[in-house]
Amino acid sequence: MAEPMLEVKRLTKSFGGLKAVADLSFAVEKGSIIGLIGPNGAGKTTVFNMVAGFLPPSAGEILLQGESLVGLKPYATTRKGVARTFQIVKPFRNLSVLENVTLAAFLRFAMRRQAQAEALRIIEKMGLTAKINSLANDLTLSEQKRLEIARALATGPKLLLLDEPMGGLNATEVDQAARLISEICRDGVTIIWVEHVLRAIMNTSHRVVVINYGAKIADGTPQEVVQNPDVIAAYLGKRAQPHAAD
Amino acid sequence: MKTVFTVLALVALLIAPLIVTDPFYVHLMIMVLMWTVLGVAWNILGGYAGQVSFGHSAFLGVGAYSTMILYLNLGISPWYGIVLGGLVSALIALPIGLICFRLRGPYFALSTLAVAEIVRLVALNWESLTNGPVGLLITTLPPVSLWGEPLNWESKTPFYYIIALIAAGALGITFLLARSRLGAYLLAIREDIDSAEAIGINTVQARVSALALSAFVAGVGGGFYAMYLRYVDPDAVFSISLSVEMVFIAVVGGLTTVIGPFIGAVFLVTLGETFRTHFLWGHLVFYGLFMMVAIRYMPEGIWGRVRKLIGNRVGVQNG
Repeated sequence: MAEPMLEVKRLTKSFGGLKAVADLSFAVEKGSIIGLIGPNGAGKTTVFNMVAGFLPPSAGEILLQGESLVGLKPYATTRKGVARTFQIVKPFRNLSVLENVTLAAFLRFAMRRQAQAEALRIIEKMGLTAKINSLANDLTLSEQKRLEIARALATGPKLLLLDEPMGGLNATEVDQAARLISEICRDGVTIIWVEHVLRAIMNTSHRVVVINYGAKIADGTPQEVVQNPDVIAAYLGKRAQPHAAD
Repeated sequence: MKTVFTVLALVALLIAPLIVTDPFYVHLMIMVLMWTVLGVAWNILGGYAGQVSFGHSAFLGVGAYSTMILYLNLGISPWYGIVLGGLVSALIALPIGLICFRLRGPYFALSTLAVAEIVRLVALNWESLTNGPVGLLITTLPPVSLWGEPLNWESKTPFYYIIALIAAGALGITFLLARSRLGAYLLAIREDIDSAEAIGINTVQARVSALALSAFVAGVGGGFYAMYLRYVDPDAVFSISLSVEMVFIAVVGGLTTVIGPFIGAVFLVTLGETFRTHFLWGHLVFYGLFMMVAIRYMPEGIWGRVRKLIGNRVGVQNG
């Protein structure tokens, strides 16, 4: 493997007696898209919360280009180059699209004008230019999901954590979002992507890590993973009926 | 347009005591301006940062006591004492913020209530410094001359000009805050604290800064309060009713607006005085009713509603 952007080693998170994440290790190659999948409650979002500093791990190590992220607050991991989106979108609802993204760009640009110019560039890339003056609250869900990504990108991340960016989107919007994610990766951002919409994640990811009950059960190319019997038993098997494949 | 209004307002502030000479109305104007300052203090934290405090009398009281003690014990003139009182308040706000901002939403609000009570008990029991429940009294203010004329402290006019200057300064602080990067960060925190963290804002630091600034303004207001009334005791300056009044003024005037606290003070102080003079008993009932109606039908406050009507909303660009 080439230089890893992120290494997660024996990561564990216990809530009382429950191990939400147990002894999880995986690495993310620089410049790749990694899909992180698993059934509901498998611990995917908990992994994100630990990498981004929203939850302290109970044990284990998280290394961003060899530097530990453990013990850093969310704002500090962002300053190191980790940006995230939320599964349930959390835009600044009473601020405009431009204001939402400009606020994030302040991390890299002290001057308002520069921050705004950068925000406009990213907004255009995310296809939200027509909405720059709309309040975040007035956007459709698909637009809010893109705004969430735009805001994360404005912080200038090396590693982008996407928490179900496709949730609640229709088929056309899913294809559009998948294209955007590939483009972001081509621009040099490494991506870890948690998703329930398997078709999109299988087509777009370079590698897929599958977790169940907080532990890794498979790790490989999308083709390898879908043929893994453990994965089929734990997750894909339940979704094999027609219409249920999203 | 805005500049014209600002200049007109400043001129009005300057000449008001020349037109209004009845001591009662001068007193009323002083109270309006003093409550403007306290409303501004609350608006910085409760409006811009969205962190509700029910204990802001703590900062008013610390400012009042500090100004008083500096004058009585060290002979430091209230001219400096009022500003120093604000600084002491801000200093005390730092550890309070670092502790209380570990809590969010309603839990933070409750912790501010506890803080105010703790500060009140300290003032009540630290007798060597505060004279305990008896309080502190100033009989004579230091002689001051302005352009060769000694100020007459028995007249209310000098107090009017002092508080007018402080109020203009407080409104100026809000104006600058609304346009600063800290102001933008506070709006982000108010909107969604997780997202604010996620875009790299150190939300504890930003909230503590807002609290310190807010405490400074409240402390300066408190310093003036002490010098104007020439008397402080724990129940007079640390009471919960003062804290609640600050909330009301900021909310009724219009949260997250520069001029809102002034509007709120004009309405509520004059209303309070009117009810007091017209209804010998139960004036607080009418006051309470007015508050309920105002909050039910105008949650964005008077100035917030006006801004909405003219299509100007609160944002990062226009403050």
